[in-house]
Amino acid sequence: MTGNGTITETQRDEAGLAHAHEAQLSAALARCAAGDHAALQMIYNSEAPKMIGIARRILFRQDLAEEAVHDAFVRIWSAAASFDPHRGSARGWLYAVVRKPALSIHRNEHRYDASDDSALDIDCAATVTRMPETSALRKCLEGIDRPRRDAVVLAYVHGMNYGELAGRLKVPLGTVKSWVRRSLFSLQECMG
Amino acid sequence: MSMRDDNTHSTDDLAADYVMGLLEGAELAAAEARMTDDAEFARAVSAWRERLADLDATADALAPSAALWDRIADSTRVKPEIPLPGARAALRGATLWDNISFWRGAGIGGVFAALMLVVVLIGALATSRQLRRELIALAQRKPIYVAVLVNDTTREAGAIVNTFSDGRVELIPLRPIDVPAGRTLQVWTLWDRSIGPKSIAVTSQSRTLQLDLEELPEAVPDQQFEITLEPEGGSPIGQPTGPTLFKGNAARAL
Repeated sequence: MTGNGTITETQRDEAGLAHAHEAQLSAALARCAAGDHAALQMIYNSEAPKMIGIARRILFRQDLAEEAVHDAFVRIWSAAASFDPHRGSARGWLYAVVRKPALSIHRNEHRYDASDDSALDIDCAATVTRMPETSALRKCLEGIDRPRRDAVVLAYVHGMNYGELAGRLKVPLGTVKSWVRRSLFSLQECMG
Repeated sequence: MSMRDDNTHSTDDLAADYVMGLLEGAELAAAEARMTDDAEFARAVSAWRERLADLDATADALAPSAALWDRIADSTRVKPEIPLPGARAALRGATLWDNISFWRGAGIGGVFAALMLVVVLIGALATSRQLRRELIALAQRKPIYVAVLVNDTTREAGAIVNTFSDGRVELIPLRPIDVPAGRTLQVWTLWDRSIGPKSIAVTSQSRTLQLDLEELPEAVPDQQFEITLEPEGGSPIGQPTGPTLFKGNAARAL
């Protein structure tokens, strides 16, 4: 029982830390909007490694990932004021900002093909189990059967488009589209 | 087989596909445009981002090369532009907002209009020394947005509203405005028709005002400013009730 107490305490501490970090990021974005360059650097120091990680899952190459993160920070600097804390988290906003150039570089410069070894290493199941057990997204994704769930993970995490998904999952384009649509529908139902 | 026809994407499906990164080409451009001017769509996008955010959190934190920050610092030397609040567009794409030449044109137009007024007013009108100083000071500083407030019937310019990068907004009257006893001038701004005009100042006489826009979103191009004649103490209902004396839209200065 004492063990349980400790786990609860730890989770509460982690939630508290995450909350404080989120508040700091929000404040830093507001300062960026007011032209405070030190706030941009603070965001960089705190979030750039994670953003590189997000971009690398889409682009695989470090140089391309850094290109995406560069573009993301230029965007953060120019558009920080468009972040609305009532709509969503600062973290979510920052990650969406890096996803955009990463996806666009991926579409323009780097496509998966049969000979792309890096794409073969992708382990969708591992990605899902890396989410904390308390994650509603994890629970809801686990409620979706494997190949259909993989379509969502491959598209979101690795930036695959329908054609790439169809190739990798070895099903027709129409099938993969329908898998994605149904999976997103169940996610929405499940998460509310 | 598919649950919905692809051609009849609901707002929510489209938002999901946008967040998933599954839109390309014209569809992507259309979704990005909707982020700027469709609040319902922008909300749906935010909701999907929040739903899927835990997947981003599973990414490894990987050290960037030491040179990356220097490159970013180099690319972000210029202060950010004041963005449009209607946009809330974290991921806005190549819309008109990003079209430099459009804004350059609008900026040149705005500055030209302001300078014309300065010339006309300094030269032709019996401008007070005070006003002249203000106009010269105005010409020397660099507002981000300039709005020239004009009377709808007489087409006379009545005031200039300047918005500065630090969020300061000032209203400079260009002519004395006759305020009858028991009435007051009220300055309003309108940036979103769904919210309606918001009062930013009440004044008994026509004089240069530092307006308080702290409570409001930052100024945007095409944001409307107007001056109405209201009962003393300002409009009792929080909306303009009296006649509009002058109004105008903000244009981006260079």
